[in-house]
Amino acid sequence: MEFAQQLLNGISLGAIYALIALGYTMVYGVLRFINFAHSDVFMLGAYAGLTLAPRFGGDTFAGGLAVLVGAMAVTATLGVIIEKVAYRPLRGRSTLTVLITAIGVSLLIQNVAQNSKLGFGPNPKAFPAVFPQKTFTWEVVPATTNLVAKTPGTEPTAQITPAKTLSVNTNQVAVLFVSLALLASLHWIVNHTKIGTAMRAVSFNATAAALVGINNDRVISFTFALGSALAGAGGILYAMNYPTIDPLMGTLPGLKAFVAAVLGGIGNLPGAALGGLLIGLMETFVKGSRWSTYSDAIAFAILILILLFRPAGLLGKLRVEKV
Amino acid sequence: MLEVSQLTVNYGAITALHDVSLRVDKGEIVTLIGGNGAGKTTTLRAISGMVKPKAGEIRYEGRAITGLPAHKLVGMGLAHSPEGRMVFANLTVRENLQMGAYLQRDQAVIAREEEFVFTMFPRLKEREAQLAGTLSGGEQQMLAIGRALMSQPRCLLLDEPSLGIAPLLVKLIFEKIVELNRVRGLTILLVEQNANLALEISHRGYVLETGRIILADQAATLRADPKVREAYLGG
Ligand SMILES: Nc1ncnc2c1ncn2[C@@H]1O[C@H](COP(=O)(O)OP(=O)(O)OP(=O)(O)O)[C@@H](O)[C@H]1O
Ligand SMILES: [Mg+2]
Repeated sequence: MEFAQQLLNGISLGAIYALIALGYTMVYGVLRFINFAHSDVFMLGAYAGLTLAPRFGGDTFAGGLAVLVGAMAVTATLGVIIEKVAYRPLRGRSTLTVLITAIGVSLLIQNVAQNSKLGFGPNPKAFPAVFPQKTFTWEVVPATTNLVAKTPGTEPTAQITPAKTLSVNTNQVAVLFVSLALLASLHWIVNHTKIGTAMRAVSFNATAAALVGINNDRVISFTFALGSALAGAGGILYAMNYPTIDPLMGTLPGLKAFVAAVLGGIGNLPGAALGGLLIGLMETFVKGSRWSTYSDAIAFAILILILLFRPAGLLGKLRVEKV
Repeated sequence: MLEVSQLTVNYGAITALHDVSLRVDKGEIVTLIGGNGAGKTTTLRAISGMVKPKAGEIRYEGRAITGLPAHKLVGMGLAHSPEGRMVFANLTVRENLQMGAYLQRDQAVIAREEEFVFTMFPRLKEREAQLAGTLSGGEQQMLAIGRALMSQPRCLLLDEPSLGIAPLLVKLIFEKIVELNRVRGLTILLVEQNANLALEISHRGYVLETGRIILADQAATLRADPKVREAYLGG
């Protein structure tokens, strides 16, 4: 049952990585750069949850959803503002310029967040309940007691085999349910709505998109809103499984989600979802093995392998970068 | 309908257009001929707002449109089917057409225009659900024109519709261009390497050489001009 438990944990964690990875990959699709401030939007989502949860969350599932949607609205707005203020003025400049700006924005957000007067302060804060919590435990194989004689002729001793159990927390169910629902909604928006089709058009050829009347800036804003909303949801879902949050909490999951996006093929949406799940599963299984100390390193080992052997990622097609 | 006066366009240090002036009247097909790098594409790109001119003025239906962003012009009834077709290869044929009608909110109008394009190019109808990237060059050209038509333009800028296409399809596409002009009253500014064919269907023409207009006349007169014949019509 160890395996089923790990699988469940791995999928939950992977689904959160997938939510964040999609933001990286969508922005890359329309603007061809990695938005390094994305992991901080994720962190801000968790803080939005911290503010909203005591008011609405904790008691009912609907209340939890309200917290989630509220935080998503906050991060979506922040994402749009970041793009407008920091990236839009640099449109047409080299990718490197925008990339360095993104790192600057990321550091700025982290520093402001760590400041006690302007932000939340550097110390970790306890994360409140968002959804009502309960843990269900099943005894899959009951405990047994055997009498075993160690060596023939001696007195047999009792040997107890503990019960094998599978425990599921309602938090885990919520994470799984919410993240899968968000992934499905995103799939629908991108593939079956007009604005989603416009996103794909801009991502393929921005000039041609402008020639049919698509305002590229508006589509880019929408893309940031969508990606940041998912990151905000990811922040809350991630925080729900940890006791505390802090202003630097975004860094590691952000990097892993970025690796997930590269693993799936940067710019490829199903790839980012798949990459997220794989990274989450691998991390969880490594954590449960005797190499557990390397669980954070595994994502980066994967990044190196991918870049060496399949730079286009699992589902991506290699496109020659035009400079 | 479309009036370009003393247009100058630079790409960095290169001057691609010097003082180019031309005019397209309502209901006309006007063609712009010239060799490689003469500045034909640049002229269209400047009109549709893809490059900002250094100097000069562009007026469309009496309004100055110089420097307006490309996405604004579509709504004013000026469509551009660009060089190299630029269909959205990752979208289906149908989605490409729908993007062509991006600014149109009335679903009934979109459906009617789509029907019109499918009647004009039945081959697109057959490939409706196929990704545009899997179409042949000729089919992609049909799609590029169809997509431009979806915005219900009054004036169409058409860059090299014959580029890299089998002669039989070129003939079909040119027939459709004429039909759009005669039946729908669509005004067309056509850029072509295939000068013979272009002058055959046009009312008037301009000859562009290294960024300057060197000749402007009725299409028939240009076709008879010995200099034009030698330089662009293969003698
Ligand atoms: N993006 C650009 N950057 C720099 N120079 C350019 C650019 N686009 C075009 N040019 C230059 O401007 C000049 C005119 O180019 P343009 O594409 O308008 O020619 P054209 O008449 O359309 O040629 P063709 O028949 O080969 O399509 C050429 O000398 C070309 O090299
Ligand atoms: Mg050209």
